[in-house]
This record gives sequence, structure tokens and C-alpha cells, in this order.
Amino acid sequence: MSKPKRSTDLFMGAGIVVLLVSLAICAAAQRKSASTRADQSPMFTVDPLWPKPLPNHWVLGSVTGVAVDSQDHIWISHRGADSLGNNEKGAILNPPTGCCVPAPQVLEFDQAGNLIGHWGGPGQGYDWPQSTGGIAVDQKGNVWIAAAGQPEAAARAAPAAPAAAARPAAPKPQDAQVLKFSRTGQFLLQIGEAGKTEGSDSKTGLNRPVGVEVDPATNEVYVADGFGNRRVVVFDADTGAYKRHWGAYGEKPDDSNLGPYDPDAPAAKQFRTVSCAAVSKDGQVYVCDRQNDRIQVFQKDGKFVKEGFVSKTTKGDGSVWDIAFSNDPQQRYLYVADGHDKKIHVLRRDTLEVVTSFGDGGRLPGQFYGVGSVAVDSKGNVYTGETYEGKRVQKFVFKGMK
Amino acid sequence: MNQDIGPIGRIGQIGPISPIRPIRPTGIPMKKHNIYIGGVLVILLTALFIGQNMLDKTTVVEGAAVMAPRFEVDPLWPKPLPNHWYIGMSIGVACDAQDHVWIVHRPDTVSANEAAADQKTGDCCSKAPPILEFDQAGNLIGHWGGSGQGYEWPESNHGITIDHKGNVWIGGNGTNDAQILKFTKDGKFLAQYGHAGKNAGSNDLENFGRVAKIFVDPKANEAYISDGYLNKRVVVVDADTGKFKRYWGAYGNKPDDKNLGRYDPDAPPAQQFRNPVHCAELSNDGLLYVCDRVNDRIQVFQPDGKFVKEQFIAKRSLADGSVWDIAFSKDPQQKYIYVADGRNQKVYVIQRDTLEILTSFGDGGRQPGQFYGVHSIATDSKGNIYTTETYEGRRLQKFVYKGLAPVTKVDQGTVWPGGTK
Repeated sequence: MSKPKRSTDLFMGAGIVVLLVSLAICAAAQRKSASTRADQSPMFTVDPLWPKPLPNHWVLGSVTGVAVDSQDHIWISHRGADSLGNNEKGAILNPPTGCCVPAPQVLEFDQAGNLIGHWGGPGQGYDWPQSTGGIAVDQKGNVWIAAAGQPEAAARAAPAAPAAAARPAAPKPQDAQVLKFSRTGQFLLQIGEAGKTEGSDSKTGLNRPVGVEVDPATNEVYVADGFGNRRVVVFDADTGAYKRHWGAYGEKPDDSNLGPYDPDAPAAKQFRTVSCAAVSKDGQVYVCDRQNDRIQVFQKDGKFVKEGFVSKTTKGDGSVWDIAFSNDPQQRYLYVADGHDKKIHVLRRDTLEVVTSFGDGGRLPGQFYGVGSVAVDSKGNVYTGETYEGKRVQKFVFKGMK
Repeated sequence: MNQDIGPIGRIGQIGPISPIRPIRPTGIPMKKHNIYIGGVLVILLTALFIGQNMLDKTTVVEGAAVMAPRFEVDPLWPKPLPNHWYIGMSIGVACDAQDHVWIVHRPDTVSANEAAADQKTGDCCSKAPPILEFDQAGNLIGHWGGSGQGYEWPESNHGITIDHKGNVWIGGNGTNDAQILKFTKDGKFLAQYGHAGKNAGSNDLENFGRVAKIFVDPKANEAYISDGYLNKRVVVVDADTGKFKRYWGAYGNKPDDKNLGRYDPDAPPAQQFRNPVHCAELSNDGLLYVCDRVNDRIQVFQPDGKFVKEQFIAKRSLADGSVWDIAFSKDPQQKYIYVADGRNQKVYVIQRDTLEILTSFGDGGRQPGQFYGVHSIATDSKGNIYTTETYEGRRLQKFVYKGLAPVTKVDQGTVWPGGTK
């Protein structure tokens, strides 16, 4: 042996120290790069000239849903005449008083912002909503619409007539259904029935559902149910057969009145307004509990995973209206439409932390009034729909990470 | 509809035909002269006939080439307001001598939903002060307004103008508003004419009746008051003292406050203004253009109130009417007037001498260049147009002047940079 054992030990010791130090440096470097990544967030700029002006002097009512299909076409649902003042639908009054005409309630735009399809309205075999809710286009290219209206909406929708002929419209039953159409507007399926509300444990009835989304992996439709009920309910997307439902924290829903939201009170054990249910690629269900200012996350079977509050002090109509996932394969970000605070929150999906937000109140491009729906196309661009008197669809162009 | 009249008829009247001169051919014996004359006459007549036909054809071609000012909306003007400020119904716009753009809006019309920060239910937003001043780049550079010592702020703000001395005038169309107010540009109170709650009808010499707008004539230092939502007259006051100088109703008649009932486009023209009398704007050559909004007409007067002429605009428009506000083009002759029509959601470009509509732009909607209740209109020194919208439109928009261009459409719809196709 040319080297004594002691010196070998010494060398080994030194080697280990060097290794440990370099490992520590590596780890620190890794932490640093991780924190750099965490600080980044997707950036957007509004396209003020998207979509193109509508033809035929058509105007939008309160926009209640926006969706992107597999061809990157953008679909919206809006409330039409029922949400428009007489002084913006003068052309359909009797006698006509001036501009304009409510656009059909389902509109399809291409990427350039051209209107390429339009349909919607009452027909044989289904209950057209008194007031539309969300819209979704499923993996088979069919279009789903939630019906979220109350009877009062019907009274406002009464066609204007000369005073002598004016008669109060017969009250219509409360919306309690979701509808499925082909992309050209041919009726396919209705789940629930207008006027048939049976509470949050019903296997057949809904109550003013707000959001609808189809999970392509299981061909199940998730209904955010809604303004009336306090649950998520899942049906077979082909047959409409009931599968399962659950309330906040995955518990049995309870329809008793929770009173107004109090940000300082313990978190409510029930949903207040269930306005979205979005399924991620990795099989998690993100639910908008709008007036509780929170997102609750579930497994597909309804098992509660976690929750995250967004702008927790927001009162009024709440902060969590709709959710869309970023278009990267990991869906690393959530975009949350906050119609009360008039912005889109950008959240890390893994932590539910808000990393940034964009938008502000107002009527200029990129501003919002009642931004209640959000969707993302394959390029990562964000589309928003505004209800109340916002009455717009806007496009926010993805500008990469910063 | 007036839009259908089009400019073609007018062009047909121009291009005077030269008088025919007798032609005496030379070197021709007298006997044959008459025959020649006859022949020449035939030829001449034929030529005239052909010429007339050609003229008619030219008329059609030229008709398509009527020139009119062209505009494009600037979708990113003005800049977003600071402080999460929100504007309400925006019921007045004016440009001052520095080309700053002033608006007046109604903070009280901002809903609880919109003013959630004021309500403490959310982060956004708060009501902006009622008077806002923007520079040419669209930056907010001044803001003020509201109740104060020594004057009665209107219940419902209405109309704004900046006079030649740089003072700011506003009216008010609230139930009890019978006063107009004058401030410095930074909001210091200068004068109030008329008093709230003191309206005494269209022949009162001290108070107004829910004033829509004010125009100040720099030459005579007189203010023309569009009076208003309650009274049915134009009033002229001394711009320094507010002393009443003269007033008149439609056609220069003595105003009469009798209820005219609903506007009927098929009835003979009303002999009185309907409420509101919504603008009164004096041109450089001394003609006063009055917006008789619900009667769907412009009436033109001399400054002394003598009636000159009238023109109906979109005469079938019912309800709140078609003639909301007028601005002049910025050429020295003020060859064009721009009329805001909040009922039909457009701005007409009108030839001032004939009051014919050459073209229009705008359409209903919430996108840039579209309107909901386009209420007020003003032009800057470069010829750009600014509009504000009431109802739920609630915007200030800028339309950039792009020079004269051939009119290809009577109704241009939404005018975007680069077009919309």
C-alpha cells in the first residue's frame, strides 16, 4: 500500500465536505431559480378592436358566458332583449323609435373576431332560459347553456306594446335546467325542467344553474347549481342521467339561509352562490363559491381537497365568479373573473395564491363592469364576458411570462 | 328618412351651363346662310341634348364622390382614470383654447355595484369628481366640482362650455335646477345666474328651466342658454353680468309652455320647441343652430332670434329624439356641422349651408366607436371630434380627423382604424 489508511480517511472526509458544500450551493441555486419562476406570471394586453362590430345593428345584452371550442372559436351567451333598455333596442319596439336590435343570444366568433354563427331562443321540446347563464362547448362540439333566470326577468322581457294593448306577461316558471344543442343550434338534450326545483338533494331538478362544463375524460357534465341550489351536480353528458352531487367541503348540501357573507366569521360550511365548476386535466374540480369569495377544490368524486380565498373582504356579489385554466400542459395558472372588484385575478393553481391581477372598473377597453365569465384559447389568450351594463366580450392577448 | 335624400340631388344643381352664343360661319353666301344657321342650330341642339345627358351621367358619378370629413375612433383615448375612478352619465364635453378636453358627468348615477369601494363592499371603484379635464394625450390633468359655499350646485349636472376668457360654465337639468354656474378653470366659483327652485316658465327674466347647455359668443360677450328640459326657449344673457338680453321660442315665436303631447312625425311641425331644447351653437358667420331634440330638428336663427330655416334629421325617431348636440367643423368657414344622435347611436356629418346629411358614423354598442346615448359633441383645433355618452354608455371617446374623403356610405357604421373588415 503506498498510502496509509489515515490519509485515505482524510481525503474521503475532504471529498465529502466538498460534495456537501457543492450540494448546498446547488440547492440554493435551485431555490433561487424556483423563486424566479414563482415570481413570473402570464402577461396580457387588451385587443381593443376585438371582436369586429356586429352586423344588423345588433347589440349585446348582459353577457353571462364565454367559451372557446376546439377550433379556437369563441362562443358567448348573453341575455338579449330582457337585459336591454328600450333606448338601446328601439328598432324592435312598436312603433320603432330608433336603433338597435338585440343580437341572438348565442354567438360564435372566429379568431379574427368575425361573427360566424348565431342562434338561440325558444323552440319545440325545450325550455329556453329566461336568463342565460354560462356556456360551454364539449369535446364532441356540442354547446351547453345553463338557465339561471328568475321569474322577475320574464316580466322585464315582456315585449313592448302600445299602452292600450299592454298586458302583464304571465309569469314564467323559474329556470331550473341546462340545455345541450349542436353547434348549429339544433336541440339535443335538456336536464331539469323550468319551474321544477326540488332543492339541493334532488336527482332530477336544478335551481337556477349558473355554470356548466363537460369533462372530456369521463363524458360527464358538471353543473354549478347555482343561484338557487348550493351544490355541484354531475350527469352523464349523453343521457343526462344523474351521477352524484355534493356541497361545500364535499358535504351534503343544505339549503337553509346563511345570511349575508361576513369575512370575519368562520368559513361557511355551505356554498353561497355556486357559479362555476371547472375540471382540470389532472382531474381536479375547481368550484366558484362566488359570495363566499372562495375556490373549493375537489376530486371528481366530490372528495374535498382544499380551498383558497380570493379578495376575502369583498362583499356584495362576491369575488369568485368564473375560472379558466392557463393553456400550458400543466395548467399552472387559474384566471378568476371577479365581477365585483372588476378584475381578473391570476392564481398559481398549485397554491391558489394570487400572483397578479389585471383590469379595473370602467367602460374603456381592458376595463370591466361585471366581468363574470372567462375562457382561454389554445394560444393562451383570455376572453372575458361582462354582465350588468358591461355587455361586452373582450380579448386579452397572451404576451408570455414576465 | 332623411338619410335617403343623399347628396346626389344637390350635385345635379351645380355646374352651370354656358349661355349659347350665336355662331356666324364665315365665307358662306348669305342665301344659304339661313340653311346653315338652321343646320347649326340642329347640331347645337343635338349637342346640347347629348351634353345634358352626359351631364346627368356625370352627376351620378360625381354623386359617389361627394367629399366629407372622415374620422376614425382612437380606441385607447383617453387614458384610464387614476384612483379606480368611475364616471357616470357623461352629459357634456367641450374643448378649450389649449385643446384640453373637458367633460361633466353625474357621479350620482354610478351604481352601488360600480362604486363598491365607496360602499366598502369591494376594492373597485369610486365615483370620479364631476368635472374632468384631459390633455391631448388623454391624461387626466384636472378635476373638481360639487357643492360649495355661495352657489347651488345642480341636482343633475348638464352641459359644459369653456368661454373665451377661460371660464367654465355648466347647466343643470334636475327637477329644481333653474340656475347656471360659472367657475374658473380650477374650480373657483365666479357667478350663478338664476336660482334653484325658482323656475317661473319660459317668459321669466331671471331664472331658467333645467338648462341643457351654454354657448358663449366671444364677439358680443353674450351667453346663449339652451333652456331647457322645462322651459322651451333660447335665452341670451350678458356673459359678465348674467342680465337677460333676449329670448325666443321655435320659429322665433314667443315661447309657450303648453304641453305639446307626444311628438308625431306625421303631424305638422310643432310651433314650439319640445323639451329639451338641448343645444344652441353660434357659427362664426353669426347663425345660431338650435337642437330641438324631440322634434328631431335643427332650427337656425340670427343672433337676434329671427328665424332663418329648419331641417329635420331622422324624422321618424321617437322617444328622446335625434338632434342632441351640435359641433362645427374647424375650417374657417365651418363648412360642416356634426350632430350627435343619442337615439340612433350615431354622429351625422352635415353640410352647413344646405343642412343636408352627407354621411354618418357610429352604431349601437359598447365597443370603441360605438355608442349608447351619445349625448354631447365637441371639436378641437385639429378637427378631431370628442363625444360623451349618457345612459349606460358613460364614456368619453375621441374620433381622429382624417381629412376629406369621398363619401362611399351614407351610414358608415363603426369607424375603426384600418376599417372593420
